Amino acid sequence: MKMTKKANQLTETKRTTIAAYLFISPFFILFAIFGLFPMIFSFYLSFFRWDGLDPMTFNGLNNFRFIFSDPIFYSSIKNTFIIGLLGTLPQIIVSILIAFALNSALIRFRNTFRTLIFLPYITSIVAVAIIFGLVFNNQPFGFANYILSFFDAGPIRWSAEYWPVKFAIATMVFWRWVGYNTIIFLAGMQSISKELYEAAKIDGATIGQQLRLITLPMLKPIVMFVVFTSTIGSLQLFTEPLIFLGRGLREEGITVVAYLWRDAFVYNTFGTASAAAIVLFVIIITLTAINLALSNLIGRSKRKVS
Amino acid sequence: MSKLLKLTALMALAILFLAACNGGNGNDASEEGAEDPETTSETIGDGDVELVFWEFGNTGYDKLIEEYVADNPHISINLQNSDMNDVHDNLFTSVSTGSGAPDIAMVEEAQIERYRNAEDAFNNLYDLGAESVVDNYLDWVFQNGESADGSFLFGLPTDIGPTVMFYRTDVFEEAGFDSSPEAVSELVSTWEDFESVAHQIYDETGKLMADAGELVFNARRDQATQQYFNEDDELIIDDHPQIREAYDYVANLFDEGLVGDIPLWTPEWFAGMEDGTYATMLAPAWMQGQIKDNSPEEGVWSITTMPEGAGNWGGSYLTVPSESEHAEEAYQFIEWLTAPEQQLKAFLDYGLFPSSPQVYEMSEFMDYEDDYFGGIATAQVFSEAAQQVIPVYKGRLYYPVDEELKQAIDNISAGDDRDEEWEAALQRIERILQR
Repeated sequence: MKMTKKANQLTETKRTTIAAYLFISPFFILFAIFGLFPMIFSFYLSFFRWDGLDPMTFNGLNNFRFIFSDPIFYSSIKNTFIIGLLGTLPQIIVSILIAFALNSALIRFRNTFRTLIFLPYITSIVAVAIIFGLVFNNQPFGFANYILSFFDAGPIRWSAEYWPVKFAIATMVFWRWVGYNTIIFLAGMQSISKELYEAAKIDGATIGQQLRLITLPMLKPIVMFVVFTSTIGSLQLFTEPLIFLGRGLREEGITVVAYLWRDAFVYNTFGTASAAAIVLFVIIITLTAINLALSNLIGRSKRKVS
Repeated sequence: MSKLLKLTALMALAILFLAACNGGNGNDASEEGAEDPETTSETIGDGDVELVFWEFGNTGYDKLIEEYVADNPHISINLQNSDMNDVHDNLFTSVSTGSGAPDIAMVEEAQIERYRNAEDAFNNLYDLGAESVVDNYLDWVFQNGESADGSFLFGLPTDIGPTVMFYRTDVFEEAGFDSSPEAVSELVSTWEDFESVAHQIYDETGKLMADAGELVFNARRDQATQQYFNEDDELIIDDHPQIREAYDYVANLFDEGLVGDIPLWTPEWFAGMEDGTYATMLAPAWMQGQIKDNSPEEGVWSITTMPEGAGNWGGSYLTVPSESEHAEEAYQFIEWLTAPEQQLKAFLDYGLFPSSPQVYEMSEFMDYEDDYFGGIATAQVFSEAAQQVIPVYKGRLYYPVDEELKQAIDNISAGDDRDEEWEAALQRIERILQR
């Protein structure tokens, strides 16, 4: 009798704890298998030479030495940043403007437009590749070249020239993600109280002023979120360059993830691929830290002003 | 309510749009492997010994397997068909981790290089009795399935892709030539002829001789006796002149404006087959399917032999991974499946071009005529090409190296300097080898 009572008391306090752990365990178990282990293993692999078939041989820091002496690796980092900037900066500005327009009471068929703007995000990437392959076609009759011909500009080899490649890939990124970010901004805007706008209108504020003085400040946490995810997303850019350039992945358009993918799955040199992955990891951590520090700074200075 | 209707209509439109895009993609499936990513699995027969067989493409092996299990009731075969890249990636993972490999795996000719240094992971088919069937296959095909020293046999060859010259009869006639296969073969018997004919076609019709540099380079490359690596896997590309000659030949054609810049598998390439933008295509036997799909009119395209020889692009091998618990049975099955009689059936039903020269002598094969190509005995043209292919050692990094040269060719087609591009490609290749 006493025993069962004691046991019951124990479970009383522990039951909730155990239940809580049980509820969160699926994520952590899956994360450990599919996230944590591969990460640790790739740290380990970066010090070895391995082609996936033969036994691994210890290689010290040679993998890192190799990638840091490889001009294509530097190109890939540069490309990643350039395409990231070209693709995400205009995208954030445009998606805020579109979201603002969709949120305004003046526009008709709002739901239709909301669905339309989100369509690119759910479009199959293969379809995207085909359409952009036609738009940014190297031939004079390619869509982009055809439009350029009206301005007496000669045909551009979109898949091979330094800036055109980056522009084409950035356009794909822009097109694919602008709707996604618009929806996120729209959700943020809908949580802003209508009274603020009404009060501003009574005071005679223009639409520009409303956007600048009400929407943007109230939207700051959402902007932070979008900047964070876009930064990480653009650093991990892979599918767009691969489908646009093919497995050859020319130096003009290769990104860091495409570089390490090619090392691993085309050249079967998993050591250098892992080393590149670790360098990317460090870059992402650093940038996230800078992002965090900046957002803290902005948050603090604003609070002081107000 | 009306909103809901509009939304439904919109979604329906979107789905139609996406479906249309996917339909268009069917064309370049052989390049991107994007078509039909599903895996199908089917067990044929009810014997106790079950063999798992990974294949890709449209082989029609299910019918042949039914015949086999009828004669061998103790065997059942689980045939799993997936996308080509998936089969190879899955096999690579299984081989790398040592678990999950099937009893029989189909490996494509280009991909077999990836598994070269994984002899442990495959059964040496010579140990299972392959010595007795060596004569069933063309020498060069068989050698490609062997290790460099010839002591280890990875797989038995199924089909091959001998390259020939597809040409537009209308363009040749317009340029004032006799367009029969015999006459064209005679007319374009050397690479110098190819160039001079290209000049005349350009002068008379304003049309290009070939689509792009890639296939012309491949054709010349495949006729080289040495290519990128020697049998010790050392890079020899700059130690002999043959690859550079192929490269310069293509560069000259570009300089003279006789070859286009129309990359394979692009919409303009497919459209060019119908429009006659280019007069010839130096391509393997299986390319006839693409040409027929894109240029449906009969008698426009024809086939003849390539100048100075032939090459090969494509084809597959059947391997028995060492994980298999039924290696004996698996070997007996693949020996049967790749025997001349079965290869003939695979050719007649599914167009898999046989790797066995004995099939070339069979009357059903020799009589095979194709109205599309003006009623000529196409199988004979291809078999003639197949027997001219020069065996060459490729090496594990053959395709990455090839890719870099293709990039250089692409750049010279845009007007870059050929020597600079050659050097740049060699440097990139060096870096791949250093990894």
